[in-house]
Amino acid sequence: MPPEADAGISAGYGPIAMLLVMMAVSVWLGTQAQKAVERGGFMKGYFLGNRGLGAWALALTATVQSGGTFMGFPSLVYTHGWIVALWIASYMVVPITGFAVLGKRFAQLSRRTGAITVPDLFDARYGDQRVGIVASLAILAFMTFLMIAQFKAGALVMKLTWPEGLSLGESFLATTDPGGVDGRYLVGLAVFAITVVGYTLIGGFLASVWTDLFQSVLMLIGVVLLFMLVVPFASQNGMHTPTLEAVAATDNAYAFGPGYSPSGLAFLPLGVAISFFFIWPVGGIGSPAGMVRLMACNSTDTLRRSIVLLSFYNVLIYIPLIVICICGRALMPDVQTSDEIIPRLAIWAAPDFAGGSLVSGLILAAPFGAVMATVSTFLVVIASGVVRDVYQRFLRPNAGETEIRRLTHVVMVVLGVIGVVSNISPVEFLQKLVVFSASATASTFVAPALVLAYWRRATAVGSMAGMIGGAAAVLTLFTCGPLVEGKNLFDPYQLFGVDPVVWGLAASAVLCVVVSLVTSPPPEEHVSRLFDAVPPTSGAEGVPA
Amino acid sequence: MTRPQEDILVRRGRREAAIAVGLWLVAMIYTIGYCYFNGYDREADSLSFVLWFPDWVFWGVIAPWGLCLLFSLVFAFRIMGDEPLGEEVDAYPDDESGLPGEVSDAP
Repeated sequence: MPPEADAGISAGYGPIAMLLVMMAVSVWLGTQAQKAVERGGFMKGYFLGNRGLGAWALALTATVQSGGTFMGFPSLVYTHGWIVALWIASYMVVPITGFAVLGKRFAQLSRRTGAITVPDLFDARYGDQRVGIVASLAILAFMTFLMIAQFKAGALVMKLTWPEGLSLGESFLATTDPGGVDGRYLVGLAVFAITVVGYTLIGGFLASVWTDLFQSVLMLIGVVLLFMLVVPFASQNGMHTPTLEAVAATDNAYAFGPGYSPSGLAFLPLGVAISFFFIWPVGGIGSPAGMVRLMACNSTDTLRRSIVLLSFYNVLIYIPLIVICICGRALMPDVQTSDEIIPRLAIWAAPDFAGGSLVSGLILAAPFGAVMATVSTFLVVIASGVVRDVYQRFLRPNAGETEIRRLTHVVMVVLGVIGVVSNISPVEFLQKLVVFSASATASTFVAPALVLAYWRRATAVGSMAGMIGGAAAVLTLFTCGPLVEGKNLFDPYQLFGVDPVVWGLAASAVLCVVVSLVTSPPPEEHVSRLFDAVPPTSGAEGVPA
Repeated sequence: MTRPQEDILVRRGRREAAIAVGLWLVAMIYTIGYCYFNGYDREADSLSFVLWFPDWVFWGVIAPWGLCLLFSLVFAFRIMGDEPLGEEVDAYPDDESGLPGEVSDAP
């Protein structure tokens, strides 16, 4: 039997050794990716992997797993109870909506236009650079925001795995008062940032995809191991005992809707439950990082197989995590920082047998890997936005490959520095930031992406109106939460009890359609090139970006 | 002059997107409806478990999730078709682009 569950944690050297191994493998994958990139041109290779993604790479890297999956989501289960199963339930349809709604058309359109980035695609679809600018600005704003939030989670895992005997000086590493600086956290932050920026910088998009794939497999192994270690400690006969113990530690609402909430506010009332059935599926569809990967897939067969792979993967990740965290509440009823529940369970559960420390390290590699993968993905998308969509498009259209390559590297390093500096005082509300960013990007891009792909009558102005209107609706409601209702930052105003994403989507869709209909239709010849069958004799004459 | 026929990938893409959105709507209505009417504001002594899960979680979330898993198999292998994605326009002729690298799934 392990020690007292809610006692302090002592990691030993196993976890830190596993994390170092994982970082080394990630850097090695970065170098391998660099070799693959060098087989083609820099732009298409570095930012799009030469459009060669297969089913495993696409399925396990293209949707919305992030640091939130292993830090924020478990924290919510630990805090609010079984109702979080309903909060995450829409993941049951995410594999189909994520690949079947836009997958084929984005893959086809990006080939017909030669587009490499999402703003490229919007630009080429309408033949209007203004759409590309609006898309670029939205991507840079929302994704930079979300990327910064992820650094905290990476640093937190490093801090928790720090061995007791390993010191860089007591005064530096000692945890001080809540307003002070935690040395272990800062070292973790620096190591995390250098590693993830390093391998992404070396290999670009492919480094991001391959390490993401590697880390996704590690996540699965970590969850399965943690499930096998934790659940038997909590109960020999299912979830009845741990649920009742957790109810005893909280109250009745821990087992039912709308969920237990220490603040007394309902966690998941009906309107919010409906909203989350929008947020995750449309967040997957509307994520620019996901769209880029659809553009990079190598065939429609890959899309079909990705649906199946991701369906099984989601079942094996999310349902066990719910069970694990309910057991965690029964075993450790008083964890103050609930974001740490998975790392704490991992370190606590496996100390008593040979190699137990390494096993807990393997489990801890899951949240660390999820965060690295997310940051790496965002680094590539944001860097491509700055370099391709801003610098090359508007400032230096004739910039050569060497100049573009250097600038890309500089942008990535700057983003890493911003991530570190912004997290010296750690950002709060990781999961809320994830939800905010998913809501904002979905509201900005889903409706414009749908009309881009399937509606011949859509216009550039209509698409821009949809993007701006969707983003404005979400930002307004998130601003009104603290201002009008005195809520915490990133707690939105829920108009009629419904989350901002629903209003943002509605505003965006209405504006896309109405503004398109009242503006001049796009030239039929241009639309025909993107929607109609290519005559066999005419080759692949496309629409230049 | 007649308009060229719309690409088959566009037509099938629309149909498959509509099916995906339909599945999402059905799943949302069932899951939220079941959980709301059977899992909200109950007393602890009314709690029963089905295969490890509270009854309302099992029938409201786990069971439909399993059905969606089965449907994804049918959708991927029976409903969704394969079409060629077409030749690529090279938007970067000065980029010395060679043949696409063999980069399918792993290094």
